[in-house]
Amino acid sequence: MMAMLVFFVLAFFFMAIQTTLFQFFPAWLGGPDLVFILVVFVAYRFDWLGGLVLVVFCGWMMDIASGLYLGTYPVVYLFVFALLKLLAANSPLREGLYQIPMVGISYFVVQLLFYGFFVVIQPEALPEWNWAQVVRETFILLVASIPCFLALNSLFEVLSRRRFVSKILIRRSGNRFR
Amino acid sequence: MGFFHQLALESLGPVQVLLTRASSSVVALKDDYVALWYVREENKRLLNIIDKHKQDLDEYREAYTRNRNLESELGFKRSADFPPLTARVVGKDPSFWFQTLVVDRGRSDGVVVGMVARTSQGVAGQVIQVSKNYSKILLANAPSSAIDAIIQKNRVRGVLKGAGETGYQLHYVLKNSDVTVGDRVVTAGVGGMFPSGVPLGVVAAVRSQSRGMFLEVDVTPAVDFERLEVLFINLGEQQKIDEELGAGERKGE
Repeated sequence: MMAMLVFFVLAFFFMAIQTTLFQFFPAWLGGPDLVFILVVFVAYRFDWLGGLVLVVFCGWMMDIASGLYLGTYPVVYLFVFALLKLLAANSPLREGLYQIPMVGISYFVVQLLFYGFFVVIQPEALPEWNWAQVVRETFILLVASIPCFLALNSLFEVLSRRRFVSKILIRRSGNRFR
Repeated sequence: MGFFHQLALESLGPVQVLLTRASSSVVALKDDYVALWYVREENKRLLNIIDKHKQDLDEYREAYTRNRNLESELGFKRSADFPPLTARVVGKDPSFWFQTLVVDRGRSDGVVVGMVARTSQGVAGQVIQVSKNYSKILLANAPSSAIDAIIQKNRVRGVLKGAGETGYQLHYVLKNSDVTVGDRVVTAGVGGMFPSGVPLGVVAAVRSQSRGMFLEVDVTPAVDFERLEVLFINLGEQQKIDEELGAGERKGE
């Protein structure tokens, strides 16, 4: 519960940072999608229910801050969350070695699907596809996800160790010599 | 002068010459080497002063440019033919799919959905969502944005659609229209949402394909969407929007 609350607040600040501070970066550098990195991390480390709540919250906040069609970001983030959860279940993709590449791959696939969806539904709603820009953004996201994942992992481990267990409920065995 | 005086002078002279030449060499050595011992520190000190002055100069340049921009915006606000509400940009869409930004004015300041946002350079966008103290604005270069426009020189009509970071494209301009690079594009004023004559941009390229009956016209926006800091929301449209909303509700009934 504590981890969820902290990550709620973290999602809020990530979104604020990427809609304000990152705008001062040069255009060619752009700004990594920190909220997307957080969504991928949540898919890896949180359970289904807690992760779903967090991911929907992230998508909802992104919709409010920058979305044009309400519901777009929640659907995208839910898709990423569910896909990574299913792929990582009982597979080597769960290992730390694959987490960073999966951030980039999932981001790239999401951009493709997102654009493809709008091409079918409403072709004039988005600007023209730009391979260079999408590849550049994916690369920047990959680079940014390394320190982000390290920091988020440390934070998650610190929060997970803090378990507020009531002493009354602790069962005591009869073994006096333990 | 007596003989002995002359002899003494003649004897002393060469020695003085020798010593003078020797001391000149020593002084030259001192000037070229010993005095330079402190030149390195002096050089460092002077370079630090130059760096500091350069930094100050950069700050003053930025302050001057910012002052000029704000003066320009203030001049526009004072001479505007509509009641402008100054709004500061506080957030921008991080993705390149949607061109939106958030300003620090909302319902409590009289902003409603549909109001036009402008700058001294031209049309910036339109309000699409409003909360009590903040509003979201769809920029005019968003692909879902469409503005009735005309070429200022010959009143050729078209629809100006956003093309994301590349600017605008002017659609539905017939191939027999006289459109050239450098022509100014302004709002047509049709529909009542945007007043007529507001600058939108300048024609950057004109292409005519073998198929189709329209030209492909690229337009460079008059507004620099990458550097938007302050916008002016046209509060004068409040009444018009209220009337349109009221008419829509009456139709529904």
